Formats: sequence, structure tokens, C-alpha cells
Amino acid sequence: MKEIISAALDAAVSAGASYADARIIDVAREELEVASGVVEAVERTDSFGIGVRAICDGAWGFASSSLVTPDEAIRVAREAVAIAKASAIVAGPPVILTLVEPAVGTWTGPCLIDPFTVPVEDKLALLVATDEALRKQPEVSITKAHLGFYREHKWFGSSQGAFTEQSWVESGAGVTAYAVGGGEVVSRSYPTSHGGGWQQAGWEFIEGLDLVGNAPRIALQAAQLLDAPYVEAGTRDLIIDASQVALQVHESIGHPTELDRVLGEEAAFAGTSFVALEDVGTLRYGSEHVTVTADATIPGSLGSFGWDDEGVPAQRDFIIREGLLTGLQTSRETAASIGRTSNGCMRADGWNRIPLIRMTTISLEPGTWGFDDLIADTEHGLYAETNNSWSIDDKRLNFQFACEIGWEIENGKLGRMVKNPNYTGMSPQFWGSCDAVCSRDHWQVWGLPNCGKGEPMQVAHVAHGASPARFRDVQVGVGR
Amino acid sequence: MKAMSGSETRDLAHRILQMTDGADETEVLVASEASALTRFANNRINQNVSEQNTQISVRAVLGKRQGVAGTNRLDEASLRAACDAAVRAARIAPEDPGFPGLPGPQPVETVNRAVDSTRDFDAQARAQAVHAIVEQSSARGLNAAGKVRAAQHAIAIVNSRGVDVAQELTGAQATVLSMGPDSGSGWSSFLHTDASNLASEALGASAADLAERSANPGSLEPGSYPVVLAPEAVSDIIDFLAYVGFSAKAVDEGRSFMSERIGEKLMSSMVSITDDALAPHAMGTTFDYEGQPRRRVVLVDEGVAKDSVTDSYWAARLGVANTGHALPAPNAYGPMPMNLEMAPGDASLDELIGSVTRGVYVTRFHYVNVEDPISVLLTGMTRDGTFMIENGRLTRPLKNLRFTQSAVEAFAQCEGVTKERLFVGTEEGAVYAPGLLLGTFAFTGQTA
Repeated sequence: MKEIISAALDAAVSAGASYADARIIDVAREELEVASGVVEAVERTDSFGIGVRAICDGAWGFASSSLVTPDEAIRVAREAVAIAKASAIVAGPPVILTLVEPAVGTWTGPCLIDPFTVPVEDKLALLVATDEALRKQPEVSITKAHLGFYREHKWFGSSQGAFTEQSWVESGAGVTAYAVGGGEVVSRSYPTSHGGGWQQAGWEFIEGLDLVGNAPRIALQAAQLLDAPYVEAGTRDLIIDASQVALQVHESIGHPTELDRVLGEEAAFAGTSFVALEDVGTLRYGSEHVTVTADATIPGSLGSFGWDDEGVPAQRDFIIREGLLTGLQTSRETAASIGRTSNGCMRADGWNRIPLIRMTTISLEPGTWGFDDLIADTEHGLYAETNNSWSIDDKRLNFQFACEIGWEIENGKLGRMVKNPNYTGMSPQFWGSCDAVCSRDHWQVWGLPNCGKGEPMQVAHVAHGASPARFRDVQVGVGR
Repeated sequence: MKAMSGSETRDLAHRILQMTDGADETEVLVASEASALTRFANNRINQNVSEQNTQISVRAVLGKRQGVAGTNRLDEASLRAACDAAVRAARIAPEDPGFPGLPGPQPVETVNRAVDSTRDFDAQARAQAVHAIVEQSSARGLNAAGKVRAAQHAIAIVNSRGVDVAQELTGAQATVLSMGPDSGSGWSSFLHTDASNLASEALGASAADLAERSANPGSLEPGSYPVVLAPEAVSDIIDFLAYVGFSAKAVDEGRSFMSERIGEKLMSSMVSITDDALAPHAMGTTFDYEGQPRRRVVLVDEGVAKDSVTDSYWAARLGVANTGHALPAPNAYGPMPMNLEMAPGDASLDELIGSVTRGVYVTRFHYVNVEDPISVLLTGMTRDGTFMIENGRLTRPLKNLRFTQSAVEAFAQCEGVTKERLFVGTEEGAVYAPGLLLGTFAFTGQTA
């Protein structure tokens, strides 16, 4: 691979590039799904290709191909330079990359049992058993149980002398029970919704989830939700579970602190950010209980790697410290705008995409509370679990999320179950109302395998460490 | 930029079909794409990319068992490995008693939807288009962002029962967001088979006009208001109706707004929604991902829930006709309409606005999501040009509003439809949408 990458880089420089990098990526995926007693997917796919990024005349170009040969690499490199020259027709200030020591080395993610060697029969048997356990609950008429496995092998080189090789495996699983009746459909998922739980790990992660053991509980809750009321519209103290905190961090801290969004580079698609450059070091983003890190070094997290797709080493950086915005997620091109070097957040979704600023593991650092103590300390509240729907404005300010299930809290006790509880707020005010975060005993890293950004669309695998947290005086039951 | 031709994808598909040993039936999908996208922001090109890829997928069938494997490696050994992997998966998969086997061949109408002007729309041409768009904003002190994209596809589907179809497509797309220093923003978009139809200057001017007009937006109390939705906003709602409601699978499973309500009048008589891959403006393939002809389906007829779309599996399971709306196997979503359109009315957008005493005008929505699938309860934000309508005129611009509203109930209150429609989406799945006047629409919040 090194020879092919070198051929591409030499061709790009010969064609006039002042900088070039090339990535060869080899990906394998396996997806299995059993739904309502029927096998809906047994699929194995792979994808292999090369992408070359070049700066010429101060502007970017990128080209890619699924044919990985020295000749094609040279053609792709020349096309990238030609595209860069076309970009220069509508150019801004010349692109300047902050310095980084050229990366050289290899990195491998953790994996005890290679999931691609586990017989498909065993995987299907697990899904069928889980699906049967869900369907024992009479009110549950639709079920889904899925397993997913992903393996990536990536070679990266740059015209500045970097060459790295990285490989890792990701494993994921999730189940959902849907109960349908009375003109309504309600759902319960485990370990969380929208793709289930994911880690950089092997089959051992799937075994640890105990899908079959958890199926009866979520099926019963789905049935109970059919008869549950909606939460009454009004204001309550809100406690959300760790998986929903993870999504809340993702949408209202992760995305708005991506420096490309802050600079308006993503304006036309996903939007911009309410955060401005001058807010770094001055903006009160949340209460003193809110400390948020960007960390690409957590073993097993979907947001971990050895080097990002610009060859910047994985690192841990503070985004928010005790409520104060202290940093942003950056790239080599953007970091200079806040007077820093890149903190290594550039990743691409495959060989045919350019790297963008993507979240690593963006975590709400744990607090000191026990979960039971937090409930007991809440007089008139709502506890909500597992995301059901999410929406946030183009500046990442006004959000509205719904969860699958909730329980009213009255006088320190969990009470009546409510279905599909939703809540709304404005990002900094919401985080400012956070007065309690549960301890490390309740904290875990949630893999999120489907973060969309960019055009053409890219889907990143990111993660969030989170534990349950409480927010005061939140508007709930919107539109009910 | 070069994709395979239709005949090249078909030849490759036949070659792969011959390689597959040990299956009762086999289906091969070959999808070749060459595409390029020039992105701009802050009045300059900031990203400029191209790709070429050919992905193949093999579905092997053994009795009532199926397995699928795919690759983009086109050497002999890799193709054979994909075929073998599909057969192996089929051997292991539990039986699905409802699986009817692969469908046989059906006549498919041939329509030319690929043009050289789009194939030739290279990096220089895209940059020139961006230049013309950006000029309209930069000259007025505004800030433009967006994209200009050109793509060519060739898709072939063959199976061992004799299905043998292929088609080439091209698509050109442009979007423009123009933003002003006083929080104004405007939007315009273009989608067509033929890139030579892109009027870059006019597209840039349209977004810039709206950005100037929407400067210094103000507040609005949450509540229900009459609303005039421009076509981009309408296309979002139709997309979500399709996503959660128009599939035979969703209807059968009781999670569609049409479940057990086919034949009932659920929306205003002004609302008719069809899916028609053969419409003159449609851009996608005339066959589905099983190689079956995409048939015209009336989904909502003058407000009455009429029908849902099927594929071979759901047609057999429900004992109804296959409408030709299969997605690629394996498909957990069920059949899906990809060429949606809403019937036009006879009004202009200005006439709809003119009929409102006090209401809201919405250019488009942002980040819409479903809170309840059966009522199609949606929440989302407005974006890029939201205005107060007072006494038949757009008066003051509004900060972006959050809505929480059932789409079915909103369309039940439809009081006016424009004659003019806009094509929104991509060449592989788009909505042809008019503007609408809805009698009531629930705005539940507002951003800063």
C-alpha cells in the first residue's frame, strides 16, 4: 500500500500540489437482522478504494476511485490537483495547515474475539432467541433484533512524510419491541435505540449485552406503555438516563463546538453554531457541574484511533470546564483561527470522502451523585429513558427530544409511567440548569454509529461518555 | 468522471449471475456511479470532491432462505467470493415461509434520463456556476454557501428467472443559502437531469433576495396559525408521510396513518399524492431494485387514503399487485415510493399569501423528526425565510420557529394549493411539491 500511496503523493506534487495526502481504506461489514420472527438481513459487504486530497493554488481538491493500483492512484492524484485548480477560480484566503510532526506508526483497536470468525449460525441463533423472547409478550406485534460488525484497515500518507497504518473492529447490537393498539404504536429498545449499543470490540461485547435476558423486560415495558398516559404539559425537573444524556451532549454540545460549523463551513446543510470564535474562554455554556472532554484515547470507544485522517495523534482535550467554554473540535486548517494547533478531530467516512471535523468521544464528565439519591432529592420531576426522536435548529440552540419511556417523580419517588415524554429547551440555558450529574459508577461510553454530516453525506462513528443528570425547570409534554 | 454504461453494468451483472453456483435462484444488482460535488461557504469554494465506484450485490435464494453479499472489488476472485458468500448466507439463514421467490421478468418502459451536458459538467463548469451564484451574494455584502453537484449512474438488475434491466441516469443539483449580517437568510435550489438548465445567476439572486428581505427577524408567540408553506417545506412533510405511512409493510403492521383506514377521507379534498416513476419530470429508474416496473400508485386521492406501495414480498404476502417499489435486498424497511408528487392546484404563492389575514410563511424546514408515527406527529424548525403574513402581505421576518404538528391533521386543513411545483431531492428520490395554505399549524417554540 505504501508504494501506491507514494505514487499518488508524487503525482500530486508533480502536478503542482503544495500539499497532498492519500488514504487507502479496506472495509468489511456484516449485518444480520431478525424482525417479527423473520430473518430480514444476512448480508456481508466490503468496500476498497483510494482517496487523494491536494492543495494547489491555495485551494482544496479531492478525487477517489475504487480501483487501487499505482496507475489509478496517479490518475486520481492528478484529478485531485485539477479539481483544486478549479476551486481556485472561487478562492478565499489560501489554505494554510497548522504544523504537525509527521506521523509514522501503526495502531490497532481492542478486539478479543474477532466477530467475523464467529459462525453466522451462532449469530442468527442469538437473534432468533432474542426475537422469540420479545414476542412472548402478547401486546408486542413488531420486533427487531440486529447485529452489526465493522472492520476497517486504513493506510495514510502525506507529502509531509507521514505514513500510518491503523485497523480496528466495531461490534454492535440492539433490540426493539413495538406494541401496537388503540391507534398508537409505542417502542422500547435495548441497550438503546437508533442502532443499539456499539463499541470498538469483538464478539465479547455482544455476549456482555445479554440480549435474551433483557428482552422480556423491554417487551413488558412496551406493553405497559400502550396504556400509559402522556406527561402533562408544563415545567418539571428533568432527569434523563445516560443514553439520553449522550444524545443531548451530541446534539447540543458536540455539533455546536465543531470549529468548521462555527466558521460557517457547513452552513448550507447541517447549519452553523450559536458559538462564536470569541466565545472560547468567555462563554458560560453550562453550570459548574458541566465539564465536557473530547477524547480519542478511550480504549474501546467508537471515537478512538491512533491518528486522525490528517495524521494528528489522538488526544484528550477539554471543551467545557466547570461550565466555561474552553475549547473547540479542530482540524489543521481551522485550528489557527483560535490560535491553536489541531486537536485531531478530522475523520472521513471511507476512501471516497474527505475528512471533516467529527466528534471523537465527547463526554460529560461524571459527577458525584448516586442515581437513587438523585431521584430521592427530586420533588416534582420526570425521569426519561432512551431517545425516541430528536430535532435541533440550524444554530444548535432550540432543541426538542422525545424519549421512549418516562416516570413521573413526586416527593422523591418514581411514580406513574408515561409514554413518549418529550422536552424542549435552548442549549446554554438547558446546560445552565444542570445541577447534578451521577457518578462514575453510572457513567459509560455510548457508541453512536450514525452521525450524519457533510455533502456528500458522511456517517461517522462517534461516542459519548455519560451518566444520568438532572436539569431544573424544563418544559415537558410539548404539543400533547 | 465516468461511470459504466448501462450495457456495461448489464454485462457485468450477467457475468456474476453465471458465477453463482449452488443457489436455486440468484439476483444481481450492479450500481456504477461517477459523481462530483463542489461545495462553497463564506463566498468561496471550500470543498471539491469526485468519486468513481461500482458496487455489486448478489442475492442467493435456496428455497425459502436468502443471503446477500456485496463488494466493489471487480476482479474475478472477489466477484466469485461475493457469490459464494451470498450462497453460504442463504444456506444458514432460517426459512421465511412468506418469501415468494424472486419475481420474473415484466415489461419495463425505457426512458432516456441521461444527458451528455451533465456528464460533461466538469470541475471548471461547476466552479463557473459557483462563481455566478456567489457573485449575487458577495456583491450585496451577503455570505453564500451551498453546492453544485453532477452525477451519472448506471444500474442493472438481472436474475435467474429472466429479469434483465438496465438504465443510465444523470442528475445535476444546486443549493444556495445566502446569509446577511442582520440574521437574514434565504434559500434556493435546483434539481434536473440536465445540468445545462442550471440558471446559476438567477438561483443565486433568488436566495440573496430572500436573505435581504428576512433581515432583523422578530418574535412570535407560540400558537396555532394559518401557514403558507413554500414547496421545499411541503416536500419535507410528504417525505415523512412516505417514510412512516405509504409502505404496505407499515400499513399491514398497523403503524401507518392509513392502517385500517384505506378508503377513508383523512385529508382535505385538495390533497392528492401519487408516486409515478414515468411522469415526465421524474428522474429515477423506471424499475425497482428487483427489476420490476415501477407502477403509478395513487396514495391519497382528493384526501382519501387510497393505496400503499408494494414489492414482490409484500404483494405476495397481502395477495395484491406488485407496484414495483422494492429497495435493494436485504430490505428491512419494506417497499418505498421514490417518485412522489402532490397534485397542483390553481393558485399562485402570492394568491395563497393574499388570502391570509394573520399567519406565517415558511420557506423550508430544518431537522424534522417523527414523534408519533401513526398521527405523523412531526417536530422541526423553520429556516431561511420565515415571515409574518398580515392582511395578505408578508410583513415582518420571524426568527426560526419550532413546530410540533400532525402532518395528517395539517393536510386535513389544506385550503389552497399552488399551480407551480418544485422538484426537491436527488435524482434517485425526489418530491414534486406545490406550495400550500394550511388552515392551522402548531408553532410550539422559537429560537433566539
